[in-house]
Amino acid sequence: MLKRSLLALLLVLFAAAATPVSADGHLERQALEIGKQLRCPVCQNLSVADSSSQLAEQMRELIRKRLEAGESREQIIAYFVERYGEEILLDPPRQGFSQLVWWGALLIPLVGVVLVVVVVRDRLRQREAEAPAVAFFSEEERQRYESILAQEIEQAERTRLW
Amino acid sequence: MRLGDIGQIALVVAFALAAYGLVSAALGGVHRRPEMVASARGAGYGVALLVSVASLVLLAALLTKDFTLRYVYENTSRDAPLDVTLSGFWGGQAGSLLFWAWALALLGAVVLAVEFRSYRALMPGFLGTLFAIQIFFLAVLAFVSSPFQQHPAALPDGRGLNPLLWDDGMRIHPPLLLAGYMSFSVPFAFAMAALLSGRLRREWLQPVRRWMLVAWGIQGAGLLAGAWWAYHVLGWGGYWGWDPVENVALLPWLTATAFLHSVMAQERRGLFKVWNLGLVIASFALAIFGTFVVRSGVLASVHSFAQSTVGPVFFAFLGVTLVAALCLLFYRLPQLPPEGHLDSVASREASFLLNNFLLLSIAAATFWGTIFPLVSELTRGAKVTVGGPFYQQVNGPLALGLLVLMGLGPLLAWRRTSLMALWRNVRWPLAAGLLVGIVLFALGVQRGLAALAFAAAAFTLGSIGLEFWRGVRARRAMTGEPRPVALWHLVARARRRYGGYLVHLSMVLIAFGVIGSSFYQTEHVVTFRKGETHSVGRYTFTYQGMAEHVEPGVVAIVAPLSAADGATALGTLAPERRIHRNWEQQPVSGVAYQTTLPWLEDIYVILSGWGDDGSATFRIYINPLVSLIWLGGAVFLLGTLIAAWPAAARPRASVLRPAPQEVLVAEA
Ligand code: HEM
Repeated sequence: MLKRSLLALLLVLFAAAATPVSADGHLERQALEIGKQLRCPVCQNLSVADSSSQLAEQMRELIRKRLEAGESREQIIAYFVERYGEEILLDPPRQGFSQLVWWGALLIPLVGVVLVVVVVRDRLRQREAEAPAVAFFSEEERQRYESILAQEIEQAERTRLW
Repeated sequence: MRLGDIGQIALVVAFALAAYGLVSAALGGVHRRPEMVASARGAGYGVALLVSVASLVLLAALLTKDFTLRYVYENTSRDAPLDVTLSGFWGGQAGSLLFWAWALALLGAVVLAVEFRSYRALMPGFLGTLFAIQIFFLAVLAFVSSPFQQHPAALPDGRGLNPLLWDDGMRIHPPLLLAGYMSFSVPFAFAMAALLSGRLRREWLQPVRRWMLVAWGIQGAGLLAGAWWAYHVLGWGGYWGWDPVENVALLPWLTATAFLHSVMAQERRGLFKVWNLGLVIASFALAIFGTFVVRSGVLASVHSFAQSTVGPVFFAFLGVTLVAALCLLFYRLPQLPPEGHLDSVASREASFLLNNFLLLSIAAATFWGTIFPLVSELTRGAKVTVGGPFYQQVNGPLALGLLVLMGLGPLLAWRRTSLMALWRNVRWPLAAGLLVGIVLFALGVQRGLAALAFAAAAFTLGSIGLEFWRGVRARRAMTGEPRPVALWHLVARARRRYGGYLVHLSMVLIAFGVIGSSFYQTEHVVTFRKGETHSVGRYTFTYQGMAEHVEPGVVAIVAPLSAADGATALGTLAPERRIHRNWEQQPVSGVAYQTTLPWLEDIYVILSGWGDDGSATFRIYINPLVSLIWLGGAVFLLGTLIAAWPAAARPRASVLRPAPQEVLVAEA
């Protein structure tokens, strides 16, 4: 009996939060688009569109109401930023301090590329420095020798398998 | 004496024994006294026993619902079923740390049993490093954040476990990740042992590679289980959200992947020695970082970090470990000269260099994105969020490069590959890639980027297929075996190589799934009245009405939809909302999903709300190819097992195939 009434209470509580979605498909799509750019404040990195938490549900409802009232996407996003701070944006803005995250992400592979190129050139040059040891080969002989060597290495690698 | 006291005493004694073991191993190593090293080994087994006692006590307290223990109160309740109660073990901070320490103690005992005799010279350093790590964890457990803290009087009922953690995934995902993090300690301890003892020739490579592969495999399985959990439980239609917890778990896996490749250049050619040791150190440091970053609250905000009991202690440990390890590496630099040089850019070793560059770029960018909110808060007081779109844009191109390279690298020979040979190897996979790209484009995959990514995956798939095909052909030519037998023997004879290629295959499968679902997922929000039918894409759905289920501690609301693809009925999809007692504010969605054939699309349905008039609103996702990710996961496990399987002591090559004459002579 107690359980029944508890259930009834829960259903009422919950149905209140879970308002049916408006029939206007275009509006709904727009609301989802905006929701995708906002972070659900009580979740870990989920967007308002993706989260099933009650707060996200309420925020989606708010977005819909504001869209119906004729506000633009930028206005709605600005409203949320004002209320919750920049943190509400799932994608850090590409201006001000936040652009540093983008520059950093660009810089990291660049530094990596430079490092790899430096190492490779350094190691290749070492090889050239040691090259005089085989300088009495003619270029033709050297090529023939190296192709045989490559074949042998490949051969050795294959026989190692069985 | 109460149960909790026994657990606490076991922890304190284990701490003391680990301290003894550290001193004994160090003295034994410095003064070359084998009996002291053997005594330290005994202490290792003792610590394993004592931490097991503490863990079993905590399990017993959870199972008997002993609410005198604060940890039990916080992580379970009277009406929680058995399996949920067990998950409470790693559901909270102290318990998860105990699990970590327990797993490390057990793994340490296994490693000692397996490797002690083979690597005696490395044992003092290995034991010392392992004990140092244990001492830290046991100190935190015994003196800072103990799971055996008691309430003055027993409370009537516990608060219960967070409902998100009730799912089956919770039984497998967190313990796998904790076990993965913990197991990076073993390769690290072997590397430290090599540096400490100065034995830096080939000896240490084998145990480090073997145990790195084990740690890497567990971590990979944990990541996959996490993706599975997110997809099937969290109910947002995706499997990877780039949230900080996931990101930090990915980091050591990436550096370990880099290590597994670059270490081959050291085994073969004596290259990249310092770099490889650096990768082992980085993997361990990132594993510690991952264990703690979540617990310390540092990523949530600077303030919660300052209030956390364990955060500062952990970062101190991380700092000391890094400084000590890097100083040691620096001190040994003169003993680590490269034994050769690169001969050509078109070589296996150069491709490994590129592989490392791509993997580390992904790791560094992910790390940077994860800590950026903290940087922002510290420097200007305002927090920002770095979400999925950032990581997709930054890591996407790098991952695409990795995918192509994965097809190219194995086709290159060591030292140098002539362009002719490269062309011979590459032409068929290239044709496969081009064909797939063009066909897809013609079929209406108009997004150029998607077609490009699919083509890259097809190229690599072709290259892996070619490797297997060639191997089978060569074997058949020699033995005349039927194809399946030849394949079986091929893999069994060269486990490391073909295990690795199977792992590559799994990455390609996962790539197909990721590309398909990130470019072509569609999402629909549909409201049904009872009995109504709506169509979504190719499919039609009929709503059958709502029902409630009352289970102990949970109320579930179920709203079944029957689905059909044209005239073919697909069965019933029954998404739910589950409301847990004490956690009414956090209802959990029960996802319903079905994979359709032959399209390999997932129909993924969430119940998102209902009205007083009996109508219900659903969120319906059509997710193409996601099931390939789980298939890839299975192949990943298989490949890892094959690659890590210990090699037979002696190759039995001559049993099945008459060896060439010269070899027989040489052996006789
Ligand atoms: C996420 C990406 C990758 C993963 C998870 C992965 C995983 C693996 C694993 C587990 C092995 C076996 C290692 C061992 O048993 O010690 C392996 C081997 C190998 N991998 Fe990768 N790999 C990846 C990317 C790459 C890339 C980009 C290249 C290109 C250079 C590459 C080239 C190779 C080669 C040449 C082997 C050796 C096979 C042999 O023994 O002959 N891998 N890989």
